[in-house]
Amino acid sequence: MVTITQQRHKCIGCHYCVELAYDRWRMSKKDGKSVLLGATEKKGFYTVRVGDEELDDNLKAAEACPVKIIQVRQR
Amino acid sequence: MIEQQIELMAPAGSFEALMAAIQAGANSVYFGVDQLNMRARATMNFTLDDLGKIAEICQQYNVKTYLTLNTIIYDHDLSLFKRIVQEVKKHNITAIIASDQAVISYAHSQGVEVHISTQTNITNIESVKFFAHFADVMVLARELSLKQVKAIADAVKKEQITGPSGKLVALEVFAHGALCMAVSGKCYLSLHTHNSSANRGACIQNCRRTYTVIDKEEGFEFDIDNEFIMSPKDLCTIDFLDQLLGTGINVLKIEGRGRAPEYVKTVIACYREAIDAYQAGTYTSARIEGWMKRLHNVYNRGFWGGYYLGQKLGEWTDTSGSKARQKKVYLGKGVHYFSNLQVGEFKIEAQSLKKGDQILITGQTTGVIETSVYEIRVNNAIVDEAKRGEACSFKVAAKIRPSDKLYKVVEV
Repeated sequence: MVTITQQRHKCIGCHYCVELAYDRWRMSKKDGKSVLLGATEKKGFYTVRVGDEELDDNLKAAEACPVKIIQVRQR
Repeated sequence: MIEQQIELMAPAGSFEALMAAIQAGANSVYFGVDQLNMRARATMNFTLDDLGKIAEICQQYNVKTYLTLNTIIYDHDLSLFKRIVQEVKKHNITAIIASDQAVISYAHSQGVEVHISTQTNITNIESVKFFAHFADVMVLARELSLKQVKAIADAVKKEQITGPSGKLVALEVFAHGALCMAVSGKCYLSLHTHNSSANRGACIQNCRRTYTVIDKEEGFEFDIDNEFIMSPKDLCTIDFLDQLLGTGINVLKIEGRGRAPEYVKTVIACYREAIDAYQAGTYTSARIEGWMKRLHNVYNRGFWGGYYLGQKLGEWTDTSGSKARQKKVYLGKGVHYFSNLQVGEFKIEAQSLKKGDQILITGQTTGVIETSVYEIRVNNAIVDEAKRGEACSFKVAAKIRPSDKLYKVVEV
């Protein structure tokens, strides 16, 4: 099980997460920030639990994020 | 008396800095909202919801407002930037500062005044003519010399190049503040090392660091003259402002949306005085010395005249941060203001306030107040020092407010 969290309001809309983990990320055409697909929001943090097969791509996205707002944890 | 219309444009990264700019005599302010501006990383950026308040404050003081919308724009940004342009229109923000053709074209089509950002790197009169189809004001590239600036300014008049308003195009130049190592800010260092694009307002300032060159064959390492070889000193033109204004430019832009309110206040106040002195014919070396001294007190990496004077390249700074001669130390918060007595009450939360201290008060409405404390009262008794935890009061000529912050100014 992998937990992905995004602190969305700090997103600057660079598009890296969408490039690297397309199955889990899209750009919002509404506000130009990235959207963590399937996530639920709590106090500005968007979180989703996904299968282990998504780990690698999302780790790359987290590493690439210039504002470091993506956190990926495996347990 | 020189009858040249000169606009002093100040950076506003926060409400505190905005008020400081107004108090110091700026004619206009520029600021960014959300992520589509060159300080997207700044935590203190305004949001779209702040536009109404900014417009209201500036209209009250008759100060023009410019919203920076000057990053590169992707398809997924189209809807957001259009919404920002519509909000600009709704709140009567004077203009937007843009560099991407999408923004320039859309804002122009919506009847929103457009100013051309330094990111477009205007270095010749034909570019000015091109952008004049859309914009009434454009900033010239920081890399031009005074001679080149004057040639463009002369040509605008000679060829009567007018913007959409029908008036002659106004030329803007950077007068003071940080300089970028790359041409007109078009730098990719930050993108290469941290995926963090300067052109999306997320520069991590690789250029402000020191570097070592390694000989790969034998592993020798070289430090280059112990200098920060990619970090230019800050631009300062106050000591040749007569020459800069003499080129015929119309707007002086001060860099620094990431700077503190007292920086904005000091820099804007100095340039305000210098412009007024230039126009009144009282721009003297003694006054220049005074302004330089004040400018050295606030954040700076050391000064040079940029490229205006055609100096050789290589004015690199020798420190990682500021060479400011003063710094501020947090003391506490505002509590109450007794208008009839002109006395402010403060709660000291850190350090202590001593008689004779030079202080700084900042706040969203208060802006920046710089003064000295001559008499401190604690529990209505006159004391020499107010300690941490104590509530104290002293004379302050202007109104202070409960959310204001109190600092002590100390020499570095």
